[in-house]
Amino acid sequence: MSWEPQRFKDLHQIPREEHVFPGAPLCAGCGGLESLRLASKVLGSHVVYVNAAGCFTNLATFPFTPLDASWLYTTMGSAPAGAQGVRDALDVLIAKGRLPKDEDVTVVVVGGDGSTYDMALSSTSGAITRKLDFYYFCYDNEAYGNTGVQLSPSTPYGAKTTTSPCAVQRPVGATQEKKDIFEIWRAHNPPYVATVSPRFPLDLEEKFLRASKYRGPKLFLGFAACPTGWMFDPAYTPDVARLAVECGLWPLKEAVDGKVVHTYLPKLSPVDDYLKLQGRFRHLFEPIVRQDVIAHIQDRVTAYWERVKQTELKA
Amino acid sequence: MLAIRFHGRGGQGAKTASRIVGTAAFLEGFVAQDSPIYGAERRGAPMAAFTRIAKEPIRERGLIAHPDVVVVADASLVGDPAAKVLEGVDATTVLFVNSPMSAEQFSAEVSVVGRLTTLNLTEIALQRLGKRGAISALLGAVAGRLIGLHQVSIHEAVARELAELGLPTSVIEQNQTVAKYCYETVPIVALETRPRRTVPVALHTPTYESPTRGTAGITVGPNSAIRSVGGWRAFRPVLRPDLCNGCWLCFANCPEGAITIKPDGRPAIYYPHCKGCLDCVEVCPTDALTVEQETAATNK
Amino acid sequence: MNQIDQMMMTGNLAAAWGARLADIDYVPAFPITPQTEIVETLAKWCSEGSLNARFVTLDSEHSMMTAAGAAAATGARVFTATSSQGLLHAFEVLYTVVGWRVPLVLVNVSRAVASPITLEPDHNDVLAARDTGFVQIHAETCQEVLDSILMAYRIAEDPRVCLPAIVNLDGFILSFTREPVMVPNPEMVKQFLPPFRPAHLGFKASAPHALGTAVSGGATYSYFRHQLHLASINALGVHDVAAIEFERLFGRRYNVVEGYRLEDAEDVLVMTNAYASKGKAAVDKAREEGRKVGLLRLRMIRPWPADAVRHALIGKRAVAVLDQNLSPGQGGILFQEIAACLYHEPLRPRALCSFIGGLGGKNISEGEFLAIFEQTAEAGIRGNGIGPVLLYTEAEHREMEQLQFLAHELKTGR
Repeated sequence: MSWEPQRFKDLHQIPREEHVFPGAPLCAGCGGLESLRLASKVLGSHVVYVNAAGCFTNLATFPFTPLDASWLYTTMGSAPAGAQGVRDALDVLIAKGRLPKDEDVTVVVVGGDGSTYDMALSSTSGAITRKLDFYYFCYDNEAYGNTGVQLSPSTPYGAKTTTSPCAVQRPVGATQEKKDIFEIWRAHNPPYVATVSPRFPLDLEEKFLRASKYRGPKLFLGFAACPTGWMFDPAYTPDVARLAVECGLWPLKEAVDGKVVHTYLPKLSPVDDYLKLQGRFRHLFEPIVRQDVIAHIQDRVTAYWERVKQTELKA
Repeated sequence: MLAIRFHGRGGQGAKTASRIVGTAAFLEGFVAQDSPIYGAERRGAPMAAFTRIAKEPIRERGLIAHPDVVVVADASLVGDPAAKVLEGVDATTVLFVNSPMSAEQFSAEVSVVGRLTTLNLTEIALQRLGKRGAISALLGAVAGRLIGLHQVSIHEAVARELAELGLPTSVIEQNQTVAKYCYETVPIVALETRPRRTVPVALHTPTYESPTRGTAGITVGPNSAIRSVGGWRAFRPVLRPDLCNGCWLCFANCPEGAITIKPDGRPAIYYPHCKGCLDCVEVCPTDALTVEQETAATNK
Repeated sequence: MNQIDQMMMTGNLAAAWGARLADIDYVPAFPITPQTEIVETLAKWCSEGSLNARFVTLDSEHSMMTAAGAAAATGARVFTATSSQGLLHAFEVLYTVVGWRVPLVLVNVSRAVASPITLEPDHNDVLAARDTGFVQIHAETCQEVLDSILMAYRIAEDPRVCLPAIVNLDGFILSFTREPVMVPNPEMVKQFLPPFRPAHLGFKASAPHALGTAVSGGATYSYFRHQLHLASINALGVHDVAAIEFERLFGRRYNVVEGYRLEDAEDVLVMTNAYASKGKAAVDKAREEGRKVGLLRLRMIRPWPADAVRHALIGKRAVAVLDQNLSPGQGGILFQEIAACLYHEPLRPRALCSFIGGLGGKNISEGEFLAIFEQTAEAGIRGNGIGPVLLYTEAEHREMEQLQFLAHELKTGR
């Protein structure tokens, strides 16, 4: 495997200092919060988080904030446009001498998959096209979570949500395929795109560090295991996050100037192990095992990694 | 009209309990109105639900400011000012608390107004349902008993509400059985309603404040750490230092940052910041982290 | 010399000049007819260096407004412009940026809203924003457009206000119409408009700031939303001080309302925006024909200039409110607001009449103005209001019928 971390080789390299402090009113065991906490250790405190509506909007609920950085909640569809405004204003103020250069802050959009995969596509596309110098972090819990777990374009085939329930007419749950936002972003040719999972903290922090070397749009798609939405005990968040990667459903990869490198080669264990842990897939196992649906999911994963083997690993 | 206010943490079943009572009353021919406080879905965070029952149309809406009965699913909420469990509670209010302590013991520990009754629903659920989980049917049964609804109505209401949640028949039947047990076991306190005079309030017209104060913004962050989320826990992780190999996996996997690394390089858990997700226990390679049940005594 | 010589310029160019003289920092933009000339002009000036501001085209008006508010929240002086569908597309962001308490100026070039889609002006777009908390000023002339933008920055940025402001000008009638405009001397503008240094805004490494936080509990929300109301009310007083200063420097005096031949008027016609010029012409004609009428032009819509409106209208026999907007199922929007503020006045007019005219930019002819004055006088004598009366002529309706025939009945074959 050619991808080697430069700095984060050992867990003891994870900075001790916190930038996301305890006391935030997010669910116990939130996979998204875990990623944000790890990422913030690389991003630091000289940041302004520009937020789109979603679970993370609750982070800063008056009068409390868990962040030692700044925060601007915008709307569900336009956080990247808000980021554009902040970044441009900082540049202008610094150029005009109204803000000292050492007061500059990094602009980081944080939004869930609901925002990212749906209504924020326009503003994200615009920001990347304009080569905005910013980070984009999507915590992907594969549903509109804050509103009670409804179908989003990020919901995978076979998953139960409140608006893709399993009923007699549609026993599968969601019948769509998960939208490939990584490829949509990558098609815009930003300098850096990556997927991360908090269960692989070194991979995550290494990627944030690598991204920091680039000017322009740096986009991250973070696996956010969601005990509330996916219906499993919060204690299993690390298992779910690990198995998603190991069964190949959540590839860990980065694209630097459009060139894709997978940063971890999973064992490719059967998807069943991953699906079985979650209440949102329980209908695939009870009352009968839906072999057809599981096979559908497995086949797509297998095909994906076949392509990776043929293209990337051969090279 | 009777007003019952339920307090619980997201996921404990207080909302479903309020609907069980509403449905049971409806089945008995009463006019019922039930509603939860809606917020962003958050497991573990304090929430409240309201049920009103009357013989004539109900002309009240929203939160119950003067409850006849208060049902508390989680004893740790009583001491949490944000949960407002005792708001509008006076000496005649019937107050039920899910607790292992008897009413006498509880009042000795925690000073409460109201006429107290308790039952250890958590333990009953653990023993008879096999899990601590949602105690909605048990809460509903207790509340129904305290306001004088019939057991058969509760029985049917439990079936309807749990079916709405998509629970399988076997689970529903188990819940009905345990609910009946709680209905018959909870110590009764007689309901007493007295007419109440309206308490006048003084209106205040705010004056213009500077935009810093007049805007929903925060200039002294980070400040969330002064809040304790310890009450969210049903279980707590416990570290055995002699088994710890200092790998830092727990520190890396805690979503809250409740685990810090001491100068000696070993982890320490700060319990007021621990929500009890137990991710640290899951990832610990040496079993240095174990799980203990949270009790009112340990939950400080 | 306080002003550069007069130039012929369109309302759009006057708006661009207002932004340029205000020495803005940032223009997030998105094109829409009939506003586009404004942003095209600003883009040209920014790229040639005559305006030291950054110009960025966003992907939609919703994004444009977000970028505008976010940049202002960072401490930049921001200008942007839109119309109609664009304003509506940005609607949730209007409320958002008000809640952030960011001063900025948004020029709306009014255009009737779809459906049916059209490019011509009326005021349903800008009036839909009256509950957002934006300060709203409506201009009658190209000169007033330029001047109002300068005043708007001064009012918006005042610490007693700190609200964004909309300056409205009519599409086509003003936006694409040229008139003589005096361009103030930039040095004098600096005296009128101090630099933008908001104490409550900014994102700095050394001072983290969380803005736009969530709130829970109705009392908290009530408090914050009420502060917006107080801030907006403050804008009335701040406007007056600014107006005095503006007159001192530039010789033009703007009040929150403008009275035309009001003092001895028996009946009054109330209007806004550019068609008020036609209203003034109609007043002159009516006076020649022996009617004692006058015109009241509302200039500031938010905050609502209640005292000025009362002062202008009490003691009059009849008032006709000519709304260039329509709220289906109710009638004219400004009519209702005027009625409400006159309710308790013992000397309120005997008749309050509602007319709806100029929808979709429809011309209001001399004959229609005559009808207004006649019907209003009759109402005043009877002591009973009328309306809403649609200004729409028999001739226009005959044309309409012909168009319907073509659309639905005449089968032309291929």
